[in-house]
Amino acid sequence: MNRLFKGHFLLMIMAIAILVFAAACAPDEAPIDDGSDSDSTEENGDSNGDSDSDSEGEASGDGEISGELEIQYFVGGYGDSWWKEVISDFEAEYPDVEVVEHAGASINEEMRSRWVSGNPPDVVYIDGAGSSETQMVEDGQLMNLTDWAGEIELEDGSPILDSFIAEPSDFDGELYSLPLVFDAWGTWYDMALFDEGGYEVPSDFESFMSTMGDIQEGEGIEPFVTTGQHPYYFSRGMLYPAFAAYGGNELLADIIQGADGAWETDEAVEIMQGVEDMVEAGYVDSGLGALNHTQSQMNFLLHENAFIPVGFWLPNEMEGDTPEDFEYGFIPSPMNPEGEPMAIVPDLRPLAIAEEADNPEAAKAFVEFVFTREYAQLFSEHTGAIMNIEGVDLSENPNVPEYLIEANEMINDPEQVQIYYKPHPMSADLETPLSDSLVSLLLGNITAEEFIEEAEEAAEEYRDEEE
Amino acid sequence: MVQSKKQKYIFLAFCLVPTFIMFAIFTLYPLFSGLYYSLFEWSGASQTREFVGLDNYVKLFNDGIIPKTIWHDYFLVITKVFGIMVMALFIAVALTQLKIKEAPFYRIIFFFPNIMSVVVIGILWMFIYNPNLGLVNSGLEAIGLEEWTRPWLGSETWALPSLVLPSIWAGIGLFMLLLMGGIANISKSNYEAAEIDGASEWQQFWHVTLPLIWPQIKISILYIVITTLNGSFIIVQVMTGGGPNNSTHVMGSYLYQQAFTQYNFGYGATIGVMILVLSLVTVLILQFLLRREKVEY
Repeated sequence: MNRLFKGHFLLMIMAIAILVFAAACAPDEAPIDDGSDSDSTEENGDSNGDSDSDSEGEASGDGEISGELEIQYFVGGYGDSWWKEVISDFEAEYPDVEVVEHAGASINEEMRSRWVSGNPPDVVYIDGAGSSETQMVEDGQLMNLTDWAGEIELEDGSPILDSFIAEPSDFDGELYSLPLVFDAWGTWYDMALFDEGGYEVPSDFESFMSTMGDIQEGEGIEPFVTTGQHPYYFSRGMLYPAFAAYGGNELLADIIQGADGAWETDEAVEIMQGVEDMVEAGYVDSGLGALNHTQSQMNFLLHENAFIPVGFWLPNEMEGDTPEDFEYGFIPSPMNPEGEPMAIVPDLRPLAIAEEADNPEAAKAFVEFVFTREYAQLFSEHTGAIMNIEGVDLSENPNVPEYLIEANEMINDPEQVQIYYKPHPMSADLETPLSDSLVSLLLGNITAEEFIEEAEEAAEEYRDEEE
Repeated sequence: MVQSKKQKYIFLAFCLVPTFIMFAIFTLYPLFSGLYYSLFEWSGASQTREFVGLDNYVKLFNDGIIPKTIWHDYFLVITKVFGIMVMALFIAVALTQLKIKEAPFYRIIFFFPNIMSVVVIGILWMFIYNPNLGLVNSGLEAIGLEEWTRPWLGSETWALPSLVLPSIWAGIGLFMLLLMGGIANISKSNYEAAEIDGASEWQQFWHVTLPLIWPQIKISILYIVITTLNGSFIIVQVMTGGGPNNSTHVMGSYLYQQAFTQYNFGYGATIGVMILVLSLVTVLILQFLLRREKVEY
């Protein structure tokens, strides 16, 4: 009896183990190529009569768009509902094309082996952890779009290259991607808290310092927080706008490309001295060293701090954790000198075509299809962010959040806000050592002078590597 | 029935070949491909890679962060070996020799962290160390030591020492069980004889228990050293990500950063080779230091 029971017991454990294993494995695979795949096969079957046509049937000389189109897109704070809608519209417009979606929060890692083996998807939206436009261009993975992009037009016939809010990344004069999402870093605050405490919303570095002083006194908190685990939130959110406001696109480009002496210019020294002043005055959260981005954002929502530099995605990302009486307010980071307009340095999330795309014609058709003012409206509704197309009037749209309408107005008003451009994102090989020193500066362990020395060293090392 | 030679060989092959094939695929192949990739400059994401010979090794020797990561790794090795061995030995002796009624209960309690994933442990201790809400700082405030409170994981000085506590806490249980097994195997008559000779409890521990469980102690130390050199990566990655300002980077987390966030896969592989060499050398040295004649009474 006992033995029998033992046997059953063992069997049961094995069965449970197998079930757990199966359960753990199953959903992992499912969401990647979900729904759309089978939908499109049906559509394809109707019109084509041959659902196996795959890539052989595509773009056969006469310019017809057909075949399989693989799209890779990262799903992060903005969700995927906009993509789903656009792709289904595209399939309706091009019934001969079968779209295969590769999407998810870790899609960049999942698809890496495809890129390495020379069998990449056709279209890629470059965003999220594990993706780097600069790296992809350096590796020769993206198609050169310089000539073709000149031919693309929006729905009203205006050329796309004249219709971007922010210019595409420029790699030695060549164009490898079209900027789809206009992300901008800025500084967030709680409008409700500011109303209640009578604090002034800053418009330059001086008023920023004085407001932080008032908040420190009035609320008894360290007013400024950022994530110490990802110091690039501070450099992209606060320092880039500062360099732009002080030294224009030129200084910004020099810093990003690691030019000799960029950090030692008077402008850069003044900015970094300002950061040191913030730290010395006790305005910067002394515990930020260990905070990851969610923790720092959580502290901000809990009023442990009053200012945080993050991009447009903050309200979407923290939707579930935002207290009811919290009102998001967004300003371009107030690092500009008095009397100058505030600066915004957009962080663009581009759409690109793989150099080795199996179906380049369909890929081009898709890219062209996506860039319209109609989809730009739709994008703001779905994500609370802005697509990189100018002349999109959000003010009449009831589905767009308040902060976005204000931000959009600000961005379109050159009196208030000046938009600057970085040539391309900073290479991780330069950004990492800079970030390390930056944390030390923010924790008050080194001075601005020491930081500048370390930054110059990092830039020199980066230049040597590049050669 | 006598087995023929052929049957014997078939049986041996049956036992060994599948294991060897698995070993070759999952250990030898990655090992050699790691060595191979360390000779290339490769982003880890492109089809093309450039052969650069020993350039990555030159870079390794000139990289200012590498000595720090090595020191951090050995700091964790030393503190963990001492912390875990002292605590595990103490608890093991207490639970086996002191005839505590609740011994099984304590055994479960102390073993508990071992069934938790290191990732969970890391996240748990992040909350404990949280500067505003965490147990450590609130505890210090409660007993009137406000000036001792600090952002533990956010401080360049305190972050690394703060990682030691969770690592020790998570490690005690397994080695406690191992040592308890060793102690349980010691014959009661040894202790009786020692007692008749007038040996105190302390002398009994020092002259009877310790020499007789030396093999278990040796295995425990080696095991802690190897798992720390190869595995401290997880707790660092979860709790601090190597920061602030590289103050907690161990070799493994630095490898990960180079290979997967800075896109220097070849250089990452080079760091991997360094970890392999250092682990081997350390284990050889330890084998030499810990050698002792087997004791039997």
